[in-house]
Amino acid sequence: MDNALYVGLSRQMTLRRELDIVANNIANMDTTGFKVESLMVETEPAAPAHTAGAPRPVKFVIDRSVGRDFGQGVLRSTGATFDLGIQGDGFFRVRTADGEQFTRDGRYHMDGDGRLVTEDGAALLDEGGGEIVIDPKLGPVSIAKDGVVSQGQERLGKVGLFQFQELSVLEKVGENRFRNSSNAQPIPATESVIQQGMLEGSNVKPISEVTRMIEITRAYEAITKMMEANAELSRRSVERMGKVN
Amino acid sequence: MQALRTAATGMAAQQLNVDVISNNIANMNTVGFKKQRAEFQDLLYQTIERAGAQSSDQGNVVPTGVQVGGGVKTGSVYRITEQGNMTATGGKFDVAITGRGFFQVMMPDGTIAYTRAGNFSPNNQGQLVTEDGYLIEPAITIPEDATDISISKSGQVQAIRPGQTQPEIVGNIELATFVNEAGLDAIGDNLLKESAASGAPTVAAPGIDGTGTLNQGYTEASNVDAVSEITALIVAQRAYEMNSKVITSADEMLRTASNIRS
Repeated sequence: MDNALYVGLSRQMTLRRELDIVANNIANMDTTGFKVESLMVETEPAAPAHTAGAPRPVKFVIDRSVGRDFGQGVLRSTGATFDLGIQGDGFFRVRTADGEQFTRDGRYHMDGDGRLVTEDGAALLDEGGGEIVIDPKLGPVSIAKDGVVSQGQERLGKVGLFQFQELSVLEKVGENRFRNSSNAQPIPATESVIQQGMLEGSNVKPISEVTRMIEITRAYEAITKMMEANAELSRRSVERMGKVN
Repeated sequence: MQALRTAATGMAAQQLNVDVISNNIANMNTVGFKKQRAEFQDLLYQTIERAGAQSSDQGNVVPTGVQVGGGVKTGSVYRITEQGNMTATGGKFDVAITGRGFFQVMMPDGTIAYTRAGNFSPNNQGQLVTEDGYLIEPAITIPEDATDISISKSGQVQAIRPGQTQPEIVGNIELATFVNEAGLDAIGDNLLKESAASGAPTVAAPGIDGTGTLNQGYTEASNVDAVSEITALIVAQRAYEMNSKVITSADEMLRTASNIRS
């Protein structure tokens, strides 16, 4: 009897966590380079074939992992020189205080020394891991599709684009950035293309998030009803048993 | 419940977005105004099950782990320094910059501020001042009896005086450039101040070292594009609504939980 309550509780907990994730997706609907997430739940353990007479195993709901959809976000035009949008699977590599991190967020600008940096001052790295330094006196900067940065005739470097065999090694750290949580080495993303003056929006689809939210709310209600019914059942059985005369 | 707080960060972010957009629209006709844009970043993630953790004694490994994000924050509100359109005014003291650079303005407290708004006029002593009466730097005095004034592309201010055939040079307008223009601090009145992010100014004559050139008789219009501001406003409003839906949902779930009879 109690098992039913615990199974219900495990479902309630995962539903709450799912709503947390949906809330985060919706809050980041307008965040550059954000990748949508969903909770992957699993019932365990794997059920053996039902044999007549044998009791069926109890299955709890467990949240196993967060699935990330690394699909392309919509590129929107901003016209800013140092806004870079990636078409393809690549990531920019930036140097932060916590080591090298990866991002799809292509908003860069020059700092006081002419280096290309993110908003919080993390330097954008080129192919070999060096910084890209611009001399504003040399005129307008153009960044080619393959990442080559040039001013007039002068070639200043090449923005590095990297990708991973297994995207699951990337862990979110906030600030639109990912951390490589394994020893897997990134490989150059040769098929990705940089678009200057464009930014990649988040790939959150508001409609599917809202539908998901409705599903979660209703599932939560349903499981709560089930738990109530279960509690009612045990209340009645106690009443009946108490009436033995 | 985290979802409530997450959605609240989303609403706060969109509110700020609307603030920025409304400031852009309000300054659509401000001379030399540069539009701003709010940009967002995701907040810290709470790791509940770490990727790579063992899920059984047999050495099975969790492939991705569970990470729940805490919402969104404003990364920065930055100025887009794109060139604005030139508006012909015919004013003799109206000067617009084509390209990079800022006019220098001497503030009453002795510091220098920078502006793209070139709608100057002479004050009662004949000195060129901004709309607020601040002197431009280096100071330029227009002779009282000057019949005509011409300002060249490279910043030379020439006055023609009665009885003279040759124009007289009365001063030079200089422009300041910054490595990171977007890093300048806005202080209102179309003025900007140097900051640690902008780097130190480089002062040069117009047209030298990559600075822009001057156009007399024109002012630079704001670079606000009404259509894109309105679309941004619609997006912000809808995003705000969606976040409030999340709050309703979370609230409903909490109510369901608290109504359990036992």
